[in-house]
Amino acid sequence: MPAGIKPGKYFVQGDEAIAEGAIAAGCRFFAGYPITPSSETSEAMARRLPEVGGICLQMEDELASIHAVGAASVGGLKAMTISSGPGISLKLEGLGWGIKNEIPYVVVDIQRAGPSNGVATRVGQGDFYTVRYGSAGGNNCLIALSPKSTQEAFDLTIECFNLSEIFRCPVFLLSDETVGHTRELLVIPEESQLNVRKRIKPAVPPEQFVMYPLDTPGVINYPFPNIGEGYGICVSPYTHTSKGYASTAQEVQEKMARRLVFKITENSDKLVRVERQKMEDADFAVIAYGGNARPAVAAVDMAREKGMKVGFFRPIIVWPFPDGEVLQVAEKVRTILVCELNIDGQLSREVSRAAKGKAEVYHLGSGGVEPHLPAQIFNEVRRLYK
Amino acid sequence: MAITIIKDFCKGCGFCIDFCPKKVYEFSDEMNKKGYRLPRPVREEECTECGLCDLYCPDFAIFLEKTKKKARPKGKGDH
Amino acid sequence: MNTVGEALKVLHPLVAKYLRKERMPHMACPGCGIGQVVHGTLLAIDELGLTPQNTVWVQGVGCSSRITYSTWMGDNVDAHHGRIFAVATGLKMARPDMNFILFTGDGDCAAIGGNHFIHACRRNLDVTAILFNNGIYGMTGGQVAPTSPVGAVTTTTPYGNIEDPFDMCQLAAAAGASYVARWKSTDFQPLVNSIKKGIQTKGLAFVEVLLQCPTNFGRYVLKTSQAQDVLKWIKEHSVSKKEAEKLSKEELAGKYLLGEFVYRPERTGIVERYQEFLKKQQKE
Repeated sequence: MPAGIKPGKYFVQGDEAIAEGAIAAGCRFFAGYPITPSSETSEAMARRLPEVGGICLQMEDELASIHAVGAASVGGLKAMTISSGPGISLKLEGLGWGIKNEIPYVVVDIQRAGPSNGVATRVGQGDFYTVRYGSAGGNNCLIALSPKSTQEAFDLTIECFNLSEIFRCPVFLLSDETVGHTRELLVIPEESQLNVRKRIKPAVPPEQFVMYPLDTPGVINYPFPNIGEGYGICVSPYTHTSKGYASTAQEVQEKMARRLVFKITENSDKLVRVERQKMEDADFAVIAYGGNARPAVAAVDMAREKGMKVGFFRPIIVWPFPDGEVLQVAEKVRTILVCELNIDGQLSREVSRAAKGKAEVYHLGSGGVEPHLPAQIFNEVRRLYK
Repeated sequence: MAITIIKDFCKGCGFCIDFCPKKVYEFSDEMNKKGYRLPRPVREEECTECGLCDLYCPDFAIFLEKTKKKARPKGKGDH
Repeated sequence: MNTVGEALKVLHPLVAKYLRKERMPHMACPGCGIGQVVHGTLLAIDELGLTPQNTVWVQGVGCSSRITYSTWMGDNVDAHHGRIFAVATGLKMARPDMNFILFTGDGDCAAIGGNHFIHACRRNLDVTAILFNNGIYGMTGGQVAPTSPVGAVTTTTPYGNIEDPFDMCQLAAAAGASYVARWKSTDFQPLVNSIKKGIQTKGLAFVEVLLQCPTNFGRYVLKTSQAQDVLKWIKEHSVSKKEAEKLSKEELAGKYLLGEFVYRPERTGIVERYQEFLKKQQKE
């Protein structure tokens, strides 16, 4: 069976780069439902997965997709699904199943203007909180990465798969229509240059293996046995014991909640990935993520030309939120301007929280459809700059 | 003995009593830990080992070791 | 919580061979038919020589599913309400070599899971699905189901159900399942034979079982607390295909037809077709 990747230089959309990244990471099961602006990824997977002996299914709806993906992972395959805002809303219950049972897989959100169906073909950034808090019940943490370019879409998709295996959980690639639909250079390296994590299998026999390590909540790089491997695994949507038996006991609920939260929080030092530009002497910072980072960087350059000491900061791993790094920015600068494609303020709310009042935080919002123009961001920087 | 009753599994539904064609069982005066009234075979000599008690019991609380026949019994609901 | 661990020295042979004894006795109400159907399933598994190593039990939500949660000695995959057919699709496509037995119920299959169910039939997914049709939502306390008879008084139809129920066998047949049958929980022999035939038939095998829910259907719909009364009602309201031929349309109204309805082993399904397709791909 061919390894799958085709090294070389390509001129492709972010959506297609995500498909190539998934295949490079070893994804061999994809289930999705067409939804703009993500359908190109589904179509690319439909073309490419059979070439590498993988399974690509168009399921009957968004819910079937995420449940089939979680199940395929339980069945032993690296798996992925993709959608956009309205479809992500539908997937949230299924996401809970993956979170609770510590099932590795990747969910991609190509954000579009919302709320509700919004504008299908145009960009938005309204799912920042949805992916983190949307799956009901709380008591969990979530990992989400956000690319700003086609190349990053490829690289971070591989990273998502790796993190899903390390942390044994679903991981989001939180992208947007700007990145999804922009055609630009993608360089796919030789396979030997990639770092792809294999699924970890138990080193102990079934009687000694603990399927869900509730008593060691912070442990990662934990084995994930699958069906048909002799481990008699139990997967359940309900709160369950470390064996997977459903339980209503308060102490089991407590342990489970702590496991799902601490698994991420106690390892958050391994989940910091940010980009800084021109921050060394900055007294004003512009913060943006995903496709909206691009006009922000351009605006920062425009401000520098006018002599303003403006820097740029971007979270690449957006969840867990880089509290420490944002606090450092706030302690350094007087003013932070957060540029995002929503009016209600989501990234800016997190930045405000993490800044702890050390800097003034402003929100430059837009409902979406168009990304911010560099001039829009620059004008706001000039207005606020002290 | 051909009939074994697993007391802790019984939920006192009475199916074994009602559906035994030979009326082998009756309710006893004994209760299990959960307070369910247990059956007890009172006419064991009438037992034909048809196995309906075993099949009718929803809780795997009765099993029959066949000493006479080998085939599984045909129940009344067969078509 | 089942707390009979230490006392489990003597077990029913099927329990000893196939079920996790620490999960027994299961939590079904006294007189509930679920245990009878599970018993039949275990007999079928035993007679076919299926093992905990090569067979997975997939369950949903509702009495039909939760009673068997993590009872099978092999792998148990319990899905969200209504999603077992989507989950089974992922599992079977990833591991086509394994056997999958699905336990589902009125809500899980006919309501929230309806869409996934018909698509699984359309794809003729090679699994065996057993629908526990007790005509009501048991676990949540007695609400109406898409399988409840017209006129049924339930907690959400206190004045009587005005909707017609699904004929789930007709639905499965129309959607493309390879094997479709319906029995009562007390049709021991035919039920075991059907489950065996279903497991052995390639494609989606759908076995609907009418069973008694004394706690909810009994109390709310039939105004009885006796499981035996519910069994009697089911018997009076079901008729074999042969007997049905002699009855008029009026006599058949409100009655469940029992028997085998569909057996089309020649119809291929998504699993074999995808494997064929991949084989072809690799040759090219």
